[in-house]
Amino acid sequence: MTLAIEIDRLSKVFGGLRAVDNASLVVASGERRVLIGPNGAGKTTLFNCIAGTLRPTSGRVLLFGDDISALPENKRTARGMGRTFQISNVFTDLTVLENLMLSIVGTDARKWIMYRPLSSFAAERAQALDGLARVGLGDRAAELVKFLSYGERRQLELALALNVNPKVLLLDEPCAGLSPSERQRFSQLIAALPREITLIMIEHDIDIALALADRVTVLHHGKIILDGTPGDVQTNALVREVYFGRA
Amino acid sequence: MSAVILQAVNGISLAALLFLLASGFTLTFGLMRVVNMAYGAYYLLGGYVGYSIARRTGSFELAMLGGGLTIVVIGFFVDRFLIRPLGANHLAQVLLTVGVAFVIGEVCLAIWGGDNLKVLTPPYLRGAMELPGGLYYPKYRFALILFGTFAAVALWLMYHKTQIGAVVRAGVDDREMVNATGINVDRLFALVSALASFLAGMAGVVGGAFLTLNPGAEWDILVLALVVVIIGGLGSLEGAILGSIIVGLLDAYGRWLLPEFSYFVLFGPMAILLLFRATGIFGKEH
Amino acid sequence: MRLGLIAAGLALVAAMPLLAGEFWVILLSQIMIFGLLALSADLLLGNAGLFSLCHAAFFAVAAYTTGLLHVRYGATTALAAPAGILAGTLLSFVFAFAVRTRGVYFILITLAFGYIVWGVAYRWASFTGGDNGVTNVPFPAIGGYRVANATQYYYVVLITVVLCGLAYRLLVTSPFGLTLRGIKSSESRMRSLGYDVGRHLYVAFVLSGLLASIAGVLYVYYNRFINPVAASFPVSVEAVLMAIVGGSGTILGPFLGSGIILILRNWVSGFFHYYTAVLGIVFIVTVLWAPQGIMGLVARWRAGDRGEGA
Repeated sequence: MTLAIEIDRLSKVFGGLRAVDNASLVVASGERRVLIGPNGAGKTTLFNCIAGTLRPTSGRVLLFGDDISALPENKRTARGMGRTFQISNVFTDLTVLENLMLSIVGTDARKWIMYRPLSSFAAERAQALDGLARVGLGDRAAELVKFLSYGERRQLELALALNVNPKVLLLDEPCAGLSPSERQRFSQLIAALPREITLIMIEHDIDIALALADRVTVLHHGKIILDGTPGDVQTNALVREVYFGRA
Repeated sequence: MSAVILQAVNGISLAALLFLLASGFTLTFGLMRVVNMAYGAYYLLGGYVGYSIARRTGSFELAMLGGGLTIVVIGFFVDRFLIRPLGANHLAQVLLTVGVAFVIGEVCLAIWGGDNLKVLTPPYLRGAMELPGGLYYPKYRFALILFGTFAAVALWLMYHKTQIGAVVRAGVDDREMVNATGINVDRLFALVSALASFLAGMAGVVGGAFLTLNPGAEWDILVLALVVVIIGGLGSLEGAILGSIIVGLLDAYGRWLLPEFSYFVLFGPMAILLLFRATGIFGKEH
Repeated sequence: MRLGLIAAGLALVAAMPLLAGEFWVILLSQIMIFGLLALSADLLLGNAGLFSLCHAAFFAVAAYTTGLLHVRYGATTALAAPAGILAGTLLSFVFAFAVRTRGVYFILITLAFGYIVWGVAYRWASFTGGDNGVTNVPFPAIGGYRVANATQYYYVVLITVVLCGLAYRLLVTSPFGLTLRGIKSSESRMRSLGYDVGRHLYVAFVLSGLLASIAGVLYVYYNRFINPVAASFPVSVEAVLMAIVGGSGTILGPFLGSGIILILRNWVSGFFHYYTAVLGIVFIVTVLWAPQGIMGLVARWRAGDRGEGA
């Protein structure tokens, strides 16, 4: 079994705050791992350390066996890491299609081409339209992102991450703020992702989490308090206490 | 050896002057996120007003006061009606305040003409004094060092040891938080802004007594003040103090040793520093 | 429709020497040259969101290099012109390190960089001629033929500027151009998509320095004289203002802005000594009331016409 992601005693300290405290976990290739925990537990910080947005204070991150702890964010993406942001981080001044194009050529030498207009890149355009269709934005290609609804931006957020050709996909609360029907559609979309992509997801909605996950990791105050199957998590007293107060 | 000491004193006296200008600029940015490129013009206008007052009344002290207050008034109007509508848009702030500087510069040209003018130094500060080691040095520049030190200490104490200073520091750190505590942020800004304006105008009078006042002087002094805040870090009072000393010394030694490349000597270290620390010595990421 | 308008405009500009006197030919040459400088600044501003205040430095270094090679070393145009462009561009390779900073720091650093060059031009009088500058720069000789007068040079400028404009268009519509706009829109997103943001900005900076250098070489042959004023802060800041007044982020905008500013200057300084104050007011008015410039106003008017929302 290959390990897609291995986190070795990772800590992130902000001034006096231990946002992530000596966290260690492994995610197998092709696995669906869900990270849960109350607000402020350190889930997004951990994500940021894995993705490279933040440098950990101590500890290591390994991607398919390689130590990527010192690698800058863009290089990690080039090695196959894709991520979404909890608050949609899309290019609001550009069109939906342009957003996808940026995603497609991001890890590729084509982004340096200066002598041909973008409109001449037919194959990439087709690929972009395809990527948009997959998340349900096929008919919005020419629209400026600033005119998109919240839900549509979440869709675009996902499309951007999917189109960097990730081997490992980090999804930070992909369904946050969506209506129940939108959540349904999203979780189906995510569940349908091929097993070539390893999935690590932060999710607040316990139902979605337990339905999608192979394994669940629970964070509390920056520490990993449980790492197990959905069944383990459901029956664990500590988890119940953390989430619902003393039972 | 005495030349080395002489240049050091020159540098420190320039540092004192630069601090007066840079401290206002850096605090205005730190608290209000405003880049005001008209500070050089404020200096010049304040200096010219002080020049006229000194000629009329013979009083240097009155000139300093008059120069400072003139800019407090002008600064208030510029802040309120021109800068405030722009929000935190630094590009717009720079362009607008450059425009203001151009207008003020031309007004000064129209009123005081293009000749080099100097503010009359107070009689008790004229002439030279003897420094230990047998050096003679202009009394005025030495007094300037004392004055600058006094201003730095006073500002530092106000900033770190008073209630108001604490609020300003909190505001520099986190403006929304200060807002949320119910403190009248508008009034706080107006106060700091007025202080910065006063310092700039007064600096013009103080500087105008040993550097000349002439068209273009507003940009020369502004650039030096900007290098001070770049090196020291925007928003930091300590940075303004340290940066002023560094820039003052670099300017003095640069002019003495490599007059043709003095700007190089001045800006080179700044550029190198920025390669390693993009926000200056004491600056914060924003 | 758009293309037709542009073609008509170009035809008009090309026919200008036949329609108007030498005064206009000279003014239009100046407008095109400074429009190109403004375009170079806008490559960074309109596309990557970086406000540079040192473009006059590349402009001046290129102009001085070409001028000095002609006047002091008797060089030919074939050597002097490319050398000027190269010199300015090499400087931009050095100054491009400014892209390690952002926002206010970037503005202030480029301001200081611009001052270094002005300071050297002014104080290293033994080499640059100081305040007196470099005089008697000849007209260029292209392929053995020496340009004889302002009208002929006008066409040299026009052709160069049109070629630069076309290259610029190619650049901003290319994938690389899109990456710059992506960086301007969300740098963090670009990083997470795999882009080395610093490297892209560095390249963009050098390209804009190249364009400014071309403008500088055009300038020294136009003016036949160069002095430190060409490297000064007002030139850099005016270049940005021109881009904004005309419409940042467009290709025509910087040229429109250049036209407006220079025609205004010519007209006003005829009867008002303190023209710079008028320029200052233009800065203030533009920033407060027309930050999208002329092109922006046109776009809003056309959108309003069609009943579209803002």
